[in-house]
Amino acid sequence: MKICLMGFGSVGQGVARVFQMKRDEIKQEYGLDLELVAALDRSGAAINPEGLDLKLLLETKKLTGKVSKYPEYGEEGVSGLEVLDKVEYDCLIEVTPTNIEDGEPALSHILKAMGDGKDVVTSNKGPLALKFSELARAARDNGVKFKYEASVGGAMPIINFAHETLSGCKIESIYGILNGTTNYILSRMAKEGSSYEQTLNEAQEMGIAETDPTQDVEGEDAACKVVILANSILKMDVTYADVEVKGISQITPESISLAKKEGYLIKLIGEVSPDSLEVSPRLVKEGSPFAVEGTLNVATLKTDLADEVTVVGKGAGSIETASAILSDVISIWKTK
Amino acid sequence: MVLELLDVPGQLMDALNPIGRLGANIVAVIHQRDVKTERGTVPVQITIEGDKDTLNEVLNLIEKTGIEIIEVDGILRKEKITTILVGNIVDQDLKDTVNLLNKIEGVMVADLDLKMSDHPEKSTSRIVIEAEQGRKKEVLTKIKDIGNLKGFLVINEI
Ligand SMILES: NC(=O)c1ccc[n+]([C@@H]2O[C@H](COP(=O)([O-])OP(=O)(O)OC[C@H]3O[C@@H](n4cnc5c(N)ncnc54)[C@H](OP(=O)(O)O)[C@@H]3O)[C@@H](O)[C@H]2O)c1
Repeated sequence: MKICLMGFGSVGQGVARVFQMKRDEIKQEYGLDLELVAALDRSGAAINPEGLDLKLLLETKKLTGKVSKYPEYGEEGVSGLEVLDKVEYDCLIEVTPTNIEDGEPALSHILKAMGDGKDVVTSNKGPLALKFSELARAARDNGVKFKYEASVGGAMPIINFAHETLSGCKIESIYGILNGTTNYILSRMAKEGSSYEQTLNEAQEMGIAETDPTQDVEGEDAACKVVILANSILKMDVTYADVEVKGISQITPESISLAKKEGYLIKLIGEVSPDSLEVSPRLVKEGSPFAVEGTLNVATLKTDLADEVTVVGKGAGSIETASAILSDVISIWKTK
Repeated sequence: MVLELLDVPGQLMDALNPIGRLGANIVAVIHQRDVKTERGTVPVQITIEGDKDTLNEVLNLIEKTGIEIIEVDGILRKEKITTILVGNIVDQDLKDTVNLLNKIEGVMVADLDLKMSDHPEKSTSRIVIEAEQGRKKEVLTKIKDIGNLKGFLVINEI
């Protein structure tokens, strides 16, 4: 399978590493030969129809910060759309940054690939949160596969889990901690009694929170995931604007200690149900499935037949997120 | 006890099944189909006999099937709802909030806590409410409305 990797940041490099680690195993087990024919970042592309050398690609990025410096096959300044036009590939892996204003550049990349009859795997929440039904339709109309497990909860299985493992059940609602950064901050505040600002700073120093933490702490990232789950699993036709969003920046140590007195923790919870799409800080019982700490993600799916099913896992991380992308690629291969 | 059923024939069977299975006796079942609660459910009165442990187990099992038990031995069943507000809360806000909540039928504010912080705009209040079974959603929505109106962050139960 010839793969075009759009974006070579944390997740993109994770994908390259995971391909490196697993290529032989996957060839043996599934007869799938993962061949990376193009990789892009903002500088341009590295393109080799015979397959790029992953080690060299990772080294080049590490040394120069640019995939376009890849020896011999590097091309500076080419755009994603140009590369999709001229390179022969089977599957696009779209891992450019999430943009919740207009979904670009990912939206155009994905639609272009689908229009050309290519399968698409992505971890990018922007296009999904803004244009889910359009993307689903484009995939259907063009007869291509479109998978996005990594977009919600990173390595925590949820989308394919609901569609495949729970395919006999109707999913009635989903409640979850869908953002690792805020879970880390709230868990630390509960443990240390520290202030929000202080804990955020600490998380930034540790690289858990980004320099601009807005998407995480104001609940926007979790809201994107709520939209994706609502469309994909509850079959609702909704978009980002339909979610009521409140973040954690107003949470005080006093509120956490008052909650504790009654046996509650405060967590940023995403709620997906037919009558409510919401991200907000909520009280959860100590000792309940939602009482997970650190950067973990968790989700409880309420079903008609199996009652409640809960999944927990790493919501982010280079290799962890790449693992979900790899699973999507393999599952596309299995349908061929 | 009085149960609230959505659809009488189906749910009544669900409610009666565990009673027989656990060895309690059903003495009487009374319901008037044309009497409906504001939620569109039908109250059904069931009288059963058995020892205390069995009866408790019966209540547990019935609740597990999703049927609301609103009254046992003539006493309305209550549930406790905790909520936390953060914002520039002053005494008057708390009084307003309590009044608004107490106005809902079957709802009573049972406990109240206010913690001022160094920053007045970040005071925290915890409110514990007792409400008749089945009122939780209504109460949580009301609290959210109050929060939006007054600009407080509302931290409700899940
Ligand atoms: N990090 C996680 O753990 C995680 C988990 C789940 C989902 N996600 C999602 O996965 C996606 C990637 O995340 P990330 O953490 O890898 O982000 P990142 O580290 O910021 O990497 C983004 C990559 O995209 C490249 N890029 C930006 N604009 C481009 C364009 N127009 N054309 C081609 N490449 C472009 C960047 O180039 P430069 O290298 O030149 O800057 C960079 O290589 C995001 O949508 C994110 O929301 C991430």
